[in-house]
Amino acid sequence: MRMSKNKLVRPQAEETLDAARLELGADFQDAECLLISEVKVLLEAQYDSKKEDKSMDEVYSKTLEYVQKFSRYTNRDTIKEVRALLKPTELEPFECAQLGNLCCSEYEEAKSLVPSIGNKIRDDDLDSLLKQMDSLKKYQG
Amino acid sequence: MFFHKKLTHTITLHPSFLGPRMREFVTKRLYKDVEGTCTGRYGYIIAVVAILEIQIGKIIPGLGSAEFEVKYSAILFKPFRNEVLDAVVDSVSKIGFLANAGPLRIFVSQTLIPADMKLDMNSNPPSFHSDDQKIEKGTLVRVKVNGARVDATNIIAIGTIKEDYLGVIE
Repeated sequence: MRMSKNKLVRPQAEETLDAARLELGADFQDAECLLISEVKVLLEAQYDSKKEDKSMDEVYSKTLEYVQKFSRYTNRDTIKEVRALLKPTELEPFECAQLGNLCCSEYEEAKSLVPSIGNKIRDDDLDSLLKQMDSLKKYQG
Repeated sequence: MFFHKKLTHTITLHPSFLGPRMREFVTKRLYKDVEGTCTGRYGYIIAVVAILEIQIGKIIPGLGSAEFEVKYSAILFKPFRNEVLDAVVDSVSKIGFLANAGPLRIFVSQTLIPADMKLDMNSNPPSFHSDDQKIEKGTLVRVKVNGARVDATNIIAIGTIKEDYLGVIE
């Protein structure tokens, strides 16, 4: 009896976290979110020194492979421009990074995949934002 | 989601290291200790980006070893419930498929795959396919995380593709 009572009053904090409602927990609520392309730039910068030290672990190599596969923007200037596009919006860092990573083609898709966006931004504005990001991606060097 | 975050870690050095190259030892030890680890709180620590501060060490009474508190920033990767992310299919089995998103493994059960995608164990490699789409080893899929379980060295997530705009990426 006592055991079950204890379980009731101690819910696991992890389970209340929910990206759809933008509840990321105290540690990550205000943390800086990275685009996959930014992670790629950072990891590739370390590649040579890691290879020299033979300190490349599984997590690093798997992540590098992943970000190289899914990186949408090939050069630093494009990444900067995407960031500049996302900055003036009212969106939280998590939502900005999701939009940059997922590259949705229309606002309905973006709202369905990142539901926390909700009504923070007008549909027209979101649509033009996505279009601008798409053209940046298309015409990057 | 990938994050860039400031963290601290305490490093204990044996007295034999307390010499001219001490900072270098502390730095090396930090990289070795934290990179590639995984905790429930922070997710995966992928790589240390910068070392921000190494505080003055404290000798532990009775041991002679010294403790250093190091502030550093690192790239973290942590999945959240209801987060949408892209992954690469690793294997297909009777009960569903396993996909990898970097170090994270995501399992998508057959019940969370749209009903029109039929399992075909006889194809090589095994696949789920509908009239125009196919999921097999190497396919890129967009998955929504339903939940995650953390054990000592890994996070395993459960995902779904049975919603709008999820599934095979063209």
